[in-house]
Parts: sequence; C-alpha cells; structure tokens
Amino acid sequence: MTELDPRDLSETEYAAVTAELETLADDQFVVAERYTDWQTRGPTLEADIAVANIAQDEYGHARLWYDLLEDLGHTEQELIWERDPASFRHATLLELGYETGGWADCVLRGYLYDVFEQLHLGALEETTYPRIADRLGKVQGEEGYHREHTESWLDRLTEDAAPGDEALVRLQAALDRLYPHALTLFEPTEHETQIVELGVRSTPLADLRGDWLAITTPFLGGLGLDVPDPELPESGVRGRDGTHTDDWERLYNEFTYTYEMLDREPRKLLVDPDEVGG
Amino acid sequence: MNIEQVKERAGPREFGPSDEMPEPYRKAATRMIQFHANSEIMGALIERPFIRQAPSLERKLAVSAQVQDEIGHGQLLYRAAEQLGVKTREEMLDELADGRGKFLNCFHYPLDHWYELPMIMFFVDGAAMRRQASLKRTSWEPYAHAIDKICFEEGFHIKHGEDILREIATGSRRDKELLQDAFEKWWPRILQFFGPTDDDSTHGGFAQEVGLKTMSNDDLRNAFLNAYLPKAEKYGLEIPEYPRIEYDESRDHYEIENSDLDWAEFETVSKNEYPPGREQIDSRGRRQEAVDWVREAIMDDSTTAVTGTTGAAAD
Repeated sequence: MTELDPRDLSETEYAAVTAELETLADDQFVVAERYTDWQTRGPTLEADIAVANIAQDEYGHARLWYDLLEDLGHTEQELIWERDPASFRHATLLELGYETGGWADCVLRGYLYDVFEQLHLGALEETTYPRIADRLGKVQGEEGYHREHTESWLDRLTEDAAPGDEALVRLQAALDRLYPHALTLFEPTEHETQIVELGVRSTPLADLRGDWLAITTPFLGGLGLDVPDPELPESGVRGRDGTHTDDWERLYNEFTYTYEMLDREPRKLLVDPDEVGG
Repeated sequence: MNIEQVKERAGPREFGPSDEMPEPYRKAATRMIQFHANSEIMGALIERPFIRQAPSLERKLAVSAQVQDEIGHGQLLYRAAEQLGVKTREEMLDELADGRGKFLNCFHYPLDHWYELPMIMFFVDGAAMRRQASLKRTSWEPYAHAIDKICFEEGFHIKHGEDILREIATGSRRDKELLQDAFEKWWPRILQFFGPTDDDSTHGGFAQEVGLKTMSNDDLRNAFLNAYLPKAEKYGLEIPEYPRIEYDESRDHYEIENSDLDWAEFETVSKNEYPPGREQIDSRGRRQEAVDWVREAIMDDSTTAVTGTTGAAAD
C-alpha cells in the first residue's frame, strides 16, 4: 500500500489519519486521567507509586500522539483544552469514575485496556503513515510492562481465593460493570472505512475484538471469574463516535477547570483607565 | 550508650542501626522522622487535585511525578524511622489514617484552586528545603541518607513551583490579583511553618543536643526569609503589613511580631483539630479503610514486591 506523505495529505487522508490519531491519543489521555485518581489513594505506598508511574507513561503516550496531530496544524488548546467534549474519541471504558475502594475496577480495567492496546498497536505495525510507525516501538515497550503489572495484580488478588471471597466478589462486580464498556474499545469512528482502505491501520478495530476475546476470556476464567456475554452498553453510548457517559462530562469539567479560570480577564478590564500608563 | 555519651558523640551521621541507642534518642528520632514522613504523605494529598486540574499536559506530568515523589519520600522516611525499632511502618500509617499522626501545619489547609498551588510548591517547599538541607547533618544516619535523595528531588519541585508562580505572575491583572490573595492567605501559615520561636519550642532543645536537629527554628526561619522575601518581591507579590516583620541589620536577622500570628489556630492545627484539616485526615482515613480488603487479600503472599510491608524491623 502507498505510504502517505504527511506534508501532502488529501482531504480524505487527512480525516482518516486525524481520526486514528485522536483515537490513540484520547484513549491514552483518559486512561491516564483515571489512573491518577489512585494517586495518594493506593492500597500500599508501593501500589501508589506504581500507578503514578503508569499514569505518567500514558500521559506521555498521549502527548506523543497529540504531537502528531500538532504536526497536522492543531494546537494542544484545540486538541484538549478547548475541544468539544462530544468530539473525544476514547472508549467509554476509560472514562468511568471509580467507586471508593474500587481497586478491583482499577486493575481489571487496566488489564482489559492493556490487552486491547497491544492489539491496536500491533495492527499499526504496517501503517502507511510513517510518523505513527516511528513512534510505535517506544509505546509498545511500555505497554508490555503495564500489562504485566495489571496481570500480576489480578493474579495476586485471586491467588488461593475461594468462591465468595471478597476479592473475587469485587472483581466479578467490576467485570460485570466494565465489560459492556470494554467492548466500546472496538467501536469505529465514522472514518473507519477510510482508515483501513488507506492502510493507516490495516485491520478494522472490529476484527481485533475476536483476538481480544481469545486472550481475555480464558485468562479471566482462569482467575475464577464469569465472563459476561459480549454486549455493548444498554444506554447506547459508544465512545469513539462522541457519545459518552455522564462520568465523562464530570471528568471533562474537572480537568478543564483551571484552564477555564486562568487568564480569563473580561475584555473591558484591558482598557481600564487605571491601567493606562500605570 | 547512655544519653550523656550520645550528647558527647553527637555529630553528622554519627549513629546507625548497629548502635545501641538509648530510648529517649530513639523516641525523639522516631517522632521527628515520622512527623516528616507523615508530612510528605499529607503534602502529596493536598497537591493531588492539581494533577487533574493542571492546565497543560506538561504540568499534569510534572504534578503527577511530584505527588509520586512525595509518596516515595514517605516510604523512605518510614523505613528510616522503622530502623529505630520503636514503631513499624504499619503502626505509623495506622496512626496517620486514624488521626493520631502529626504533620506540618501547612498541609492541614486544603488548596482551593491553582493560584494557591505555588504557595505550597514554591514557598512551603522552599521552607521545607531549608529545614531538610540542615538535616543532611542529622545524627541518625538512615535519616540523613533519605534526606540526600529527598533534597535532590525537592530541588526539581521548587523549580516547577517557581515556574508556575512565574506563569501566573506574568498573566492578566486578574491572575495577579488572585495570586496576591492566595499569598496573603498563605503568608502567615508559611511564617508559622518553622513552629514557635525558640523560646517556646518544647522538643527542639533535646533534639539539638543529640544532633538530630542541627539548626534552631529561628535560624531556619531567618534563612528562609533571607532567601524568599526577595523572591516574593521579584514576582510582584506584596508582603502583607501584618504579621509585622522587622529586619535587624546588625544581626542580619528578621524579627517577627509573634503576637500578630494566630498561635491558637496553630495549636489547634498541631493537634489535628482544625476542622478543614481534620476532614482531610478523616477522608483520607476512609479511603484507606476502603482498600483494607486489598491489603488483606495480598497479606499472605510471601513476596514484598507489591506490598513491601515486611521491612527489616517490621516486627
């Protein structure tokens, strides 16, 4: 397939590359944002530090993908701070708030996302967009470590657990709640056909779902969990098409709070006579 | 070793886990290091909302890393305290969670918004740096060792705090006004950071005699003011008229009018009884309790990679 020229993209190519980069960047940004919910709240000091490490890796990856969007002429302001919350393309799995004490949710969500992320990045190895190819290796290395971290936590929580033990009950409740939202990871943006046809990503996201189920189902079953039927959220939210849960709106309002507050001087104050010549 | 021998030998990094230290020394050192460790954890706690509220990706990364560093400092310090054999890390963390653990006055006050962040990240951390730098010469070697790493990382935090301060101070007029408001609100608390004047200090005397502390509160406050009053002015901040600060040129010394500071509030804060501070302690305690189940689920595991709960002196 023809390699795309970042400096000379047709309108269709531009839209496809943008949608794929937004999907990558927004997933990472929002997953990082939620990991930081656990900073200072981890079950041990060591868990706290590990979660902070992962959050910073994910922010770093988000920045790397947002950088590629900046190369296409966007600014960080447009890509994050002044962006319409209904145009973010992350999966709804990543935006959900945690219940107090919901460490099971944290590590399980991390695992479900990490497996997806590895498949997603794998599907980009043949990308026709050279700038994505350049950055893939670094991200893949770190994501491998994240998956080890979440898998090892899931193992530890369920080790020697008998049915009815608190850890298992909590993990099962988290799985039931998260599972439909995890499936939104495989939902397309409106540019999916062009993304695949132009080879930005050679495999449709929907095709990664089978691989994901083949990995996660036996692993979760092995922990003693019942994997629900794969059904999308009943509420109809799908994430990558811009439909999100109420948790997203709250999160968005929180992370844009300072940005909105800073430097928002009403225009008339700029010509306040007291300031003139002062 | 008896107390007199300790006082005689006291010097920088003089004592370590292989020395038989008398109980009063071990207790005083534990109180001091535990207080410091608790302060790191509670400092991280009041900064955490600004990981989310930071107005750029760069700042988010920096605040997240800073909060992480502070938890790491807590971890190091609890380890240094544990080695005195008085309390285990679990006991100290339990005391912090249930409101018995004491920590620095400034971390009892919640931060309302971004404009207040440099008050902690620049001024309070700057004050902490003064104190910590003097502790590189503390007599308990494991403490001094932890301080080396802490000071190194704290240097970056203060640079970041100063960068945030500079950014706000060069913003709009409204930004500057909000910054000045934040400064006026925090300035008295910052002056109280070093505690009561030497005359009124209860633990300072003994701690200095056995080399745990190397500088008096007054000297530390003075060194801080020498360095930070010009910095505040550099960023356009006006030093409030009260509390009154008189500079005595002959002694190169700042004299603070103690009666202008609210020492009754300081006392309430010190006892963990200042209501907004108490609420922070309690809500943290409830969060910790909510993940008790995790600690219980992993307790039987033999490795310490995740829990790290079995330090050398854990029992």
